[in-house]
Amino acid sequence: MSSPLILLVEDNELNRDMLTRRLVRAGYRVEPAGDGEQALTRMRELNPDLVLMDMNLPVMDGWSACRAARAEESLASIPIIALTAHAMESDRKVAMEAGCDDYATKPIDFPGLLVKIQKLTDAA
Amino acid sequence: MSLRRRLTLSLFAILLLFSINVGTHFWGSFARNQSMVAYRNTVNAAQLSTEVEQLLLEQRQRILVLSTLRGTTDDDLDTVELSQAEREIETIITRIRSLGDLSHDVTQLHYQRLWDSASTMLNDWLTYYRNYNDPSVEQDVEDPAVFLEVSQLLEELEQRQAFVALQRAKIIDRTIALTDRITVIGFIASILLTGTLGFFLIRYTNASLKRLKTGTQRIGSGDLNYRIKDMDDKGELGELADAFNDMSDKLRNAINEVRRAKDSADDANAAKSMFLANVSHELRTPLNAIIGYSEMLHDELADPREVDRPQFRQDLDKIILSGRQLLGLIDDILDLSKIETGKMELHAELFKPGEVIRELCDSLVPVVNRQDNQLEVEGLDGLPNMFSDAQKFRQILTNLLSNASKFTESGRIRLSARTLEEPRGWLEFSVSDTGIGMDADQQKRVFEAFIQAEDSTSANYGGTGLGLAICKEFCELMGGHISVESEPGVGSTFTVAVPADPGSGHAAA
Repeated sequence: MSSPLILLVEDNELNRDMLTRRLVRAGYRVEPAGDGEQALTRMRELNPDLVLMDMNLPVMDGWSACRAARAEESLASIPIIALTAHAMESDRKVAMEAGCDDYATKPIDFPGLLVKIQKLTDAA
Repeated sequence: MSLRRRLTLSLFAILLLFSINVGTHFWGSFARNQSMVAYRNTVNAAQLSTEVEQLLLEQRQRILVLSTLRGTTDDDLDTVELSQAEREIETIITRIRSLGDLSHDVTQLHYQRLWDSASTMLNDWLTYYRNYNDPSVEQDVEDPAVFLEVSQLLEELEQRQAFVALQRAKIIDRTIALTDRITVIGFIASILLTGTLGFFLIRYTNASLKRLKTGTQRIGSGDLNYRIKDMDDKGELGELADAFNDMSDKLRNAINEVRRAKDSADDANAAKSMFLANVSHELRTPLNAIIGYSEMLHDELADPREVDRPQFRQDLDKIILSGRQLLGLIDDILDLSKIETGKMELHAELFKPGEVIRELCDSLVPVVNRQDNQLEVEGLDGLPNMFSDAQKFRQILTNLLSNASKFTESGRIRLSARTLEEPRGWLEFSVSDTGIGMDADQQKRVFEAFIQAEDSTSANYGGTGLGLAICKEFCELMGGHISVESEPGVGSTFTVAVPADPGSGHAAA
């Protein structure tokens, strides 16, 4: 059985590079996307096991992408973890309302993120 | 009509009616008096006439008796008898004179005729008495015609006087009736007028007062749009209503002002909260890289496999870059907070603006090239030296060039410098790009602190939206100003104009 495939949606180059490498080291397969629209296209293409989605994205932001994914039958069941530098409690609420399954605040607590990913991929 | 005028007019009208009443009353009294006098005169005259008639009759009887005696006896009149007769005739004359006093214009003629006849007859009688004792004097006093004529005249005068008195009494009675009527009418009119005036005064004043009361209650209960309208009274009460309306206008303006002030304070507060959220967001992005790479490197070091040294070095560079970015951000925030608290100062030094620009352009090459942009610089030769804050000058242009690079892709960024003719001693630096541009609304707010053209811009292009606010503050600190011209989709041009030496007199220009 191959390792779970994670779609990482992140516009910041450094953060994308860093997270990709750390996830790969943790044993996941990682595919990148740079904005919300690209994320939806890649989700349809790859049918990933999980999506890590930054919320502040160009072209289409994370919340819109999330809502679009939830509205699309083939994508509705793919778990999404929101990544955001917005640290307020209200931001968490907005993300959950948009249809995210979980939420992680930057700077990311990587072991904590791995636990969340594990939980969602195991459940799937 | 004003309340005062209304009251004054009413008062005058009532006083006038009152005066008329008093006047007619006096007139009536006078007429009554006249009537009384006329009546008394008539009575007196009648009495006098009767008396005179009686006296004349008696006197004639005596003379007739004496005349008979004179013919038959030789008795003389003694002096006592003579003087008594004289006295009696004198009395008659006096009485007739009194009658004259009682006669008036209309009866004067009758009286005169009576007087003429009577005085002639009485004189004859007197002469008769005086010559009685002298038999040589022939006297004829027995002719009844003279006496009858006098009696006739006396009676006519009496009748005439009675008639005239009656006529006058009639006229006077009519006058009395008239004055009585006038008095009654005047009295009733006074009452009616007073009542009517009082009624309308009370009604109008009451209506106005009611409107005033309603108005003040409405205004008092907070309905500041309420206007006291349709005041019947254009005078004092109308003015009072106007004053109330004015007051509520001013009150409403004041409340609106307070509301606006509160709104703008709320806006400022919201902007600060937004700013804090943005600052938090922006600090977390580089921190995420720093912590993420550090933890990753830490893990790699713990890995028994050999570390990829070139990769390791690259990763460290990324940590350093993120750290620097973080520092820049913190500097911006501090700068702005210094400006806001008024602690930012100008450190003037002599420098060559051309050299400063060249240096900063060199250091910005990586930033400009990141999105495949080309940088053109012109007009640096021949710029005069500046005696100003070089550090701030550098920061202004660095911010403008970084912004232009950030919002432009595969385009051209141009920095041009020139000396201004007017105001003298000023320099102008403009940075134009062929980037996304801004609409009029965004241009208006672009220099406000904590604001980027729109929230989504922050997502697309990053930054706290502090750069331009800092540029504006720095330009003003240096005695100059900054402006922007832009068109969406075409590009933006930011123009900075500053005096070469803010300390010289030209700075004020």
